[in-house]
Amino acid sequence: MKAFLFFLACDVAILGFVASPASGNSKDACCEAMKTGAFTPTSLYQAEVSFTDDAGKKFAVGQLRGRPVVLAMFFASCGYACPLIVSDMQAIQAKLPAQMRQRTVFVLVSFDSQRDTPVALANYRQQRGLGESWVLLHGGTDSVRELAALLGVKYKQESDGAFSHSNLITILNSEGEIIHQREGLNGGLDETAAVIVASKNHP
Amino acid sequence: MKVIPGGVFVPLLREPTGTSQVPVASFLIDTYPVTNVEFLAFVTANPKWRRSQVSSLFADSSYLENWSGDLDPGRRAPSNAPVVRVSWFAARAYARWKQKRLPSTAEWELAAAAGYSKANGKEDAELNKDLYAWLARPVPAILPAVTSVRANFHGVHGLHGLVWEWVDDFNTAMVTGESRADSGLDRNLFCGGGAVNASDTTNYAAFARQALRSSLKAKNTTTSLGFRCARDDSSPNPPPSS
Repeated sequence: MKAFLFFLACDVAILGFVASPASGNSKDACCEAMKTGAFTPTSLYQAEVSFTDDAGKKFAVGQLRGRPVVLAMFFASCGYACPLIVSDMQAIQAKLPAQMRQRTVFVLVSFDSQRDTPVALANYRQQRGLGESWVLLHGGTDSVRELAALLGVKYKQESDGAFSHSNLITILNSEGEIIHQREGLNGGLDETAAVIVASKNHP
Repeated sequence: MKVIPGGVFVPLLREPTGTSQVPVASFLIDTYPVTNVEFLAFVTANPKWRRSQVSSLFADSSYLENWSGDLDPGRRAPSNAPVVRVSWFAARAYARWKQKRLPSTAEWELAAAAGYSKANGKEDAELNKDLYAWLARPVPAILPAVTSVRANFHGVHGLHGLVWEWVDDFNTAMVTGESRADSGLDRNLFCGGGAVNASDTTNYAAFARQALRSSLKAKNTTTSLGFRCARDDSSPNPPPSS
């Protein structure tokens, strides 16, 4: 095995932080918990991706730093798997102890760059009754593909406009490192919740 | 770069809902795969993509393993040979640096569907002979120059007969299970178990590419996997000379 030096790209880190004040989320709990300095070698927050939240504000993934994250990719017009994935994420949320539940962020990133505009995502938030700890993100095809590659999510737009995709719920620790993935649509929720609870011991 | 006229790509694997044809707009594609000397310029300008500095998130531990050093491709990676041992993330970063992008699967397959002298490679016996001879040959320890492979109908070299190439949407391939669980995919032929849904069961080479794409993760690198860049035809910049 070769030794890696891991000089982390300062420019990526700076980009992440420059973007965060612009989001106007200064009262958000995320920001007081946010750590400074370079991201860890396996932090997803190094990725050069850009998203917009369902309020229409730019969202840098590095803003999630400091809190455990439950993340899935989905699309709002999905009629089968995605509603189940969101329900499973809500079930995970309910299983967390109150203090942990407050700290954890639930992130949905849409595959559908065309139809899932911030407005469409805001409607989805309302329909599904997703509270303040949920972040719904719209991105261009480039950022969506980069994030999917980082998560190991495979997806493809079919000729009818719907997406075939992996069913995957990913847990990130406070540094944005993947610590667990729930594959498929059955079970594994207790285990996933337990991983989040244990993640408070991670750096 | 060379212009590939627009056309229709018929995916190898049919959708469950019926056959599909993907319209592809006219686009530009690099004449040759990216070479070691070109990739050297990229890592020189972008230190975070050097072998000793790349994040393990974006490349596995054999990234640029055949190079002698961070800024020295060395004897096993001749200047004009295609760069291999690069991840999808690295290939994409290179393309961005060049203000280009990776071709989509549909674009790559459309460009590669041409023969030497005919627009439809299926009718080109000479190309098919060379292609299958290449598939049957082990990857040489030192790859030949990108110019060593004959141009196809569009003037593009090396789409067949040199190395495999990354495409931007490699992660659309949804064949269940890994075709090969280990680095055997470098040199072995691939399983064609998806034939039940195939639109053209005679296109063995397309099965091989489909199997390879579906077995890859974005950080993987192999001894025979390189890339080239593409660009929209509507781009305001004139195409570069190479």
